Amino acid sequence: MLLIPISSSSSSSSSSSSSVLPQSFFNSTTSYSSNHHSLFLSNLSYPVPHGSRKLKTLRLRANFWESIRSGFVKNNNSTQLVEPPSIVDDEEEPLLPVEFTLVERTLQDGLIEEIIFSSGGEIDVYDLQGLCDKVGWPRRPLVKLAAALKNSYMVATLHSVMKSSSGSSEGDNGEKQQEKKLIGMARATSDHAFNATIWDVLVDPEYQGQGLGKALVEKLVRALLQRDIGNISLFADSQVVDFYQNLGFEADPEGIKGMFWYPK
Amino acid sequence: MLLGGTISTPPASLRLKSTLNPQNAVTQSSQAAFPAAMQRKPPSYSISDEDLKSRGFLLRRTPEGLNLDQLNSVFVAVGFPRRDTAKIEVALEHTDALLWVEYEKTRRPVAFARATGDGVFNAIIWDVVVDPSFQSCGLGKAVMERLIEDLQAKGICNIALYSEPRVLGFYRPLGFVSDPDGIKGMVFIRKQRNKK
Repeated sequence: MLLIPISSSSSSSSSSSSSVLPQSFFNSTTSYSSNHHSLFLSNLSYPVPHGSRKLKTLRLRANFWESIRSGFVKNNNSTQLVEPPSIVDDEEEPLLPVEFTLVERTLQDGLIEEIIFSSGGEIDVYDLQGLCDKVGWPRRPLVKLAAALKNSYMVATLHSVMKSSSGSSEGDNGEKQQEKKLIGMARATSDHAFNATIWDVLVDPEYQGQGLGKALVEKLVRALLQRDIGNISLFADSQVVDFYQNLGFEADPEGIKGMFWYPK
Repeated sequence: MLLGGTISTPPASLRLKSTLNPQNAVTQSSQAAFPAAMQRKPPSYSISDEDLKSRGFLLRRTPEGLNLDQLNSVFVAVGFPRRDTAKIEVALEHTDALLWVEYEKTRRPVAFARATGDGVFNAIIWDVVVDPSFQSCGLGKAVMERLIEDLQAKGICNIALYSEPRVLGFYRPLGFVSDPDGIKGMVFIRKQRNKK
């Protein structure tokens, strides 16, 4: 079904009663971690599927999976790919869990690296700023960055978790032995009913070229579709138009043009 | 918690690795210390509020008093799909700014526009409509000018929209540019069953 975003939004299907939720569902919470002076935002502004916070795995489409596999083989590490169940057509897809492991691989020195996708929006603003620095984006004030995240309908993140294969992940004195690093993010704003727009897609340069950006966007889109958002849009730099085309996005559909007000 | 540093223009587009033009960083730095509202000069619109009022058009900035069934009729009249009013209500609750014009005589909405976004960097304008019976007399322009002004007053610098080809000429004089620097608006197309 072709969606026509004619400076408006088109409803894909008649809404079910679940699309109107009590306001309490949309409250987001903020908590401060005293150890690291960081600001964590838990951005649950959309309905969380029941029982989904457990770490689960999902199988991706075969050809997409091959692209990730080839990326890891390139790195000469022994890679153990986590095999999730296969995804079928739109309406029959299982509900995406909020958090799941995308990839798991064994590095040298017996370290295991897990790449975890999450749409729960838990992100350290300082980490995000560091990531933006890494990809060369101009600095934005932390307060504004935090506000933008809080006001986003969905924030998807990729984290790399390192753990030793020998020991358990529990520390002796309660200290985390897992090293969790933010390596990717994408967020979407939305009116919670018709439209969502994806902004700020970024992947740590050290982790690029492995299909993680594709996974990030693909999962974000899937999560949005599963929340009955019919129209998903974005604005793409000329050099990444192909990237998004391969993910199912079409530029200027039906001649509809993206326009900006006095862009600099 | 506030760190010093320049406020630079956020990336208007999505990139995996690239940098913005350095000139972007300079223009905003002077606004770093002052709230946006303090610096704005009083807006000058093509048609003033008083002018509109004298012609029987009332400007509204909240959904209060907006009859969603009547709004739906305006949508349909301009060729948009009719939508579930419950969904419209949800959408209006999650809107950064909205503006509509009420025709005093009939108390009906005759023009409308809304914007969604993250409240600090980006906003997208949706559902810009003017009742066909009231088109071509400046209402669309009036709504757009004020909506943009309201967004700017909040400090939102990146204002975008998706325009049908036939109304590109409406948005251009308002200051909108299509595909700046080759940035393309893209939409996710749901695959049809049994097709790749």
